[in-house]
Amino acid sequence: MDIFNALLVGFSHAITFSNLLWCLLGCALGTAVGVLPGIGPAVAVAMLLPITAKVEITASMIFFAGIYYGAMYGGSTTSILLNTPGETASMVTAMEGNKMAKSGRAGAALATAAIGSFVAGTIATVIVTLFAPYVADFAVKLGPPEYFMLMLLAFTTVSAVLGKSTLRGMTALFVGLAVGCVGMDQISGQGRYVGSVPELLDGIEIVLVAVGLFAVAEVLYAVLYEGRVVESQNRLSRVHMTRRDWKRSIGAWLRGTAIGTPFGCIPAGGTEIPTFLSYATEKKLAKDPQDKAEFGTTGAIEGVAGPEAANNATVTAALIPLLTLGIPTSNTTAILLGAFQNYGIQPGPQLFTTSAALVWALIASLYIGNVMLLVLNLPMVGLWVKLLKIPKPQLYAGILIFATVGAYGMRQSAFDLFLLYAIGVLGVIMRRFDFPTAPVVVGMILGPLAEAQLRNALSIGEGSPVVFLQRPMSLALIVVVLAVLVLPRVAKRMSQRRLREQAA
Amino acid sequence: MTTTSTKERAPGQGGNWPQTLVGLGVLATGLGLGWGAMGISSDAGYSGIGPNFFPWMCAVVLTVCGAWILWEARTGGFREMDEEGAPAHPPYWTGFVWVSAGLLLNASLITTIGFILSCALCYLLAVQGLRRAGGQPIANAPRTWIVDVLVGLIISAPVYWTFTKFLAISLPGLTNTGWL
Repeated sequence: MDIFNALLVGFSHAITFSNLLWCLLGCALGTAVGVLPGIGPAVAVAMLLPITAKVEITASMIFFAGIYYGAMYGGSTTSILLNTPGETASMVTAMEGNKMAKSGRAGAALATAAIGSFVAGTIATVIVTLFAPYVADFAVKLGPPEYFMLMLLAFTTVSAVLGKSTLRGMTALFVGLAVGCVGMDQISGQGRYVGSVPELLDGIEIVLVAVGLFAVAEVLYAVLYEGRVVESQNRLSRVHMTRRDWKRSIGAWLRGTAIGTPFGCIPAGGTEIPTFLSYATEKKLAKDPQDKAEFGTTGAIEGVAGPEAANNATVTAALIPLLTLGIPTSNTTAILLGAFQNYGIQPGPQLFTTSAALVWALIASLYIGNVMLLVLNLPMVGLWVKLLKIPKPQLYAGILIFATVGAYGMRQSAFDLFLLYAIGVLGVIMRRFDFPTAPVVVGMILGPLAEAQLRNALSIGEGSPVVFLQRPMSLALIVVVLAVLVLPRVAKRMSQRRLREQAA
Repeated sequence: MTTTSTKERAPGQGGNWPQTLVGLGVLATGLGLGWGAMGISSDAGYSGIGPNFFPWMCAVVLTVCGAWILWEARTGGFREMDEEGAPAHPPYWTGFVWVSAGLLLNASLITTIGFILSCALCYLLAVQGLRRAGGQPIANAPRTWIVDVLVGLIISAPVYWTFTKFLAISLPGLTNTGWL
């Protein structure tokens, strides 16, 4: 029972007074960030990255994980109560959750979302605990060619499959890769795209890009386009589930977890697909005519319970590729990877041996954090809802102060603040013209790593790219990448043809 | 592809100017990256690809993407755009100028007047811009200005103290005391 022992040691590290405090602080802050429109977990972690200079690594990773987790809980509160859903992760929850809230069942929707998040988060954490060490053992055997192919898979899914337009996704990805090129080349040490600006030699900080694209761009976009958007809020009812609600929710939670977990495990990212799948499943499985009629009308509780569980399971399981392979699949995990890098640690298969204490303390803190979040979100939901009363102008202007801290605190350079503004403007353009932002962040963080793996792989092959075809794992991954690129298109073409035949 | 685009953009025959500019921007970025990549050494070592490989790849792909985006913009507009996501109102440039002024003044003044004052100024200008964007008639009242200045100070001062005193992250101050 190696894993069990390791986990116990992890708990002993996580249950110190200061670490519990960091965990609580992270969970509370994460919930707040999730509730507040305008900032998400990615930008909150990014703005706080400067603390990595002073705070010890275990404490800060527990803190960041708490934010990452808490935001998922808080996000559902906003999407149920506010009639303008924010982030994509909670879009599906909003569909039924909003309708439930409108028909006076906000409390039941909030309860099933919070308990469902807890159930899914805990089950997925158990899966992380059991499987991550095996994945790490396996990943140790992978060489540069396999790693490069895994990263290529992550790039492909994040840019070409998840978004609406492959062209705009690819553009965003390569902008991110180009940003990743700026600075000193890690193998030869020569500067690239540095010009005469010495600040650029260190590269462009991930904090700047994340805070610029998400926080500053959000504020600029709000002032440009959203000033006159009228928001309405649903009334909060007593947070309570009837026996019938429980009966309908439990199955949905478990199915949502079962759908979400595998999606998190693969280096593909995105919570859109699993949450939509879970929603579709629940809608299809609803047998009782009364329950079925609630979908899309007065709001069906399964439609909140399932997607919310799927969302949390995906987000938790996404820690497996992050910790064992060092491959981030979302904005937030990309920034968590950046946090590790700030400590000079590269997540990957060696992490479980070289930094075992850290990894297990982090995993133990996930169990603790889930319990804390359940307490923070069920009895105290009324408190969080008050955050929605902060008027937009003050909230957004306040965000800019925190953005300044994050951007300036990293390198103490006023040049970075100008760069921050420029990235913010870029973010507004991207949002206005429907370019996805995740590929930029993932490309920027993963780009330099992929480049190093590619160059190492080609060195192994003595300069010949055939090396990628000669190794079975790498060949298999090439097939997967091609399948990911081709299959959705073929499926789309076929369904379109079927539609046309039906019409004819 | 063409069927969806005509459905989504029925009135948009011909070119779409803002989208054309985006396409030109991407194209220019690609070409600029290529120009910059020419100055990077190609010393490949054992791997056969040198430090200039990734930059060249980005340059080529972005040039192609830019040209493609330009083509889409000139032939009926971007494909697979989500019409629901498009803003319902025309852009409010006055507010944009206010917020931009706040951010840029903050960037230029932070090292001279210190974090607290500079951020409070940034807050003031941004909140004024956002109030105007929301059509708040009280935005110009002297009382609102005073409240906004005070709130800016009330947010930025504790942030400054937390980071400098508690986390020991240096932020610029007007004085060396660490309090202002």
